[in-house]
Amino acid sequence: MKTNYKIKKVVIASNNYIYTLGIKTILSVIGIRPELFDVESVDELKDLLKEQVFSLFLILNEDIFNNNIEQTISEIKRISPDCPLILLKNSQTVIKTNIKWINYDENQSDILKKLDNFFKEENQKDLKKDQTILSDREKDILKEVALGLSNKEIADKLFISINTVITHRKNITEKLGIKTIAGLTVYAILNNYIDPEQEILNNDS
Amino acid sequence: MKKKLLFNPKSRLADIIHADYRLIPIIGRFGIEFGFGNKTIEEVCIEKEINVWFALEIINSFHDSNYFPKKSLQNFPAKLIIEYLSNTHDYYLKVKIPEIQEYIDKMERAVKPENYKNITLLNGFFNEYKEELRLHLENEDLYVFPYILSIENALNQKIIDDQLYQKILTNSIENYERNHEDAEVKLNDLKNLIIKFMPPVLCKELCQNLLIEIFRLESDLGVHTNIEDKVLIPKVKLLEKKLLEIRENKL
Repeated sequence: MKTNYKIKKVVIASNNYIYTLGIKTILSVIGIRPELFDVESVDELKDLLKEQVFSLFLILNEDIFNNNIEQTISEIKRISPDCPLILLKNSQTVIKTNIKWINYDENQSDILKKLDNFFKEENQKDLKKDQTILSDREKDILKEVALGLSNKEIADKLFISINTVITHRKNITEKLGIKTIAGLTVYAILNNYIDPEQEILNNDS
Repeated sequence: MKKKLLFNPKSRLADIIHADYRLIPIIGRFGIEFGFGNKTIEEVCIEKEINVWFALEIINSFHDSNYFPKKSLQNFPAKLIIEYLSNTHDYYLKVKIPEIQEYIDKMERAVKPENYKNITLLNGFFNEYKEELRLHLENEDLYVFPYILSIENALNQKIIDDQLYQKILTNSIENYERNHEDAEVKLNDLKNLIIKFMPPVLCKELCQNLLIEIFRLESDLGVHTNIEDKVLIPKVKLLEKKLLEIRENKL
């Protein structure tokens, strides 16, 4: 069986170094070698989520929240509805909404099990998604690529950073299995995303 | 993965083909034609004045993708390797590509009007690829291979003229290596366009054959590129180095 070799992207949000380091250690104990993003505040986290097009695993420590944890989490979910999220908290903190959490005072095996499940469940969800359907944003990018625009031009036109364009393009190629611009152009025309007549005009000018 | 049995000089050529029919074009590339009865590959090669060990290395690396005899292949003269590679270029341009083109043309004639546009798109894409591949192979035949041969010659005769010396200094094989593009990327795109995204065509058989031929060309190109990148280029680097050493010692 082929397993999912994609490297997981994990955000650890905590303004306490010991927690951050502790979480990293636990991740390596359960055999996860992620691409890590450290953030130290809710604002920093929100900024990161707005830029990222990948699904990130969010591990949030209670200490980054000012007062209303549940409200802040629902704000985060509004920015990135697809990002799985788990909260590390004091057992006295009561959470009423339906989110995953781990209490500081839980024992070793519970903590490991909870984190392990956190990553596994998401994996299974991943597999169910149709991998060849492009998101609307990816379609926008694909159109511009097919029309022959460079990454820089696309970034300027759509008001996003070049890095975001590159990431989108990487995802498009991954989903479709098509790498070259010529191939992507054929795909775009097959699906009527662009009009070949228009493309010819653009190339002439 | 199961380890495949490798062939040796005493293997009968007929058995080799029975064991792996993908080797048919490879054997043809060495100028061997059918009708060889029960002769071993060694016997056939001696008759045709082919280096049997070289032929075997090539046959075995096509037969088993895990077997890739970089070191021993590097021991053969560059001339021999280049001869083989040029023959292969001819095979791609004169046999394989026209064959694939023919399938696409046939499909274009056979499809219903609503699908005509799509096949035309494929055709355009393939034409672009064809042109790229032709330029790529031509560049090797006209510039890269003659350069390598002149190095090997110079080394054999121990005469290095200034022109060659300058060329090694300014335009060594490393330049070529850096620009050596992967000729298979576009083919892979073509495969995926057909497999995943083409609306169903009414000429199933043609489409299947087309796809099979693309797969064959792709895997052939894969081994071919490997020989260039992992055998020929390291060998030429070594030759360049030797030549420079000789030259510097003389001065």
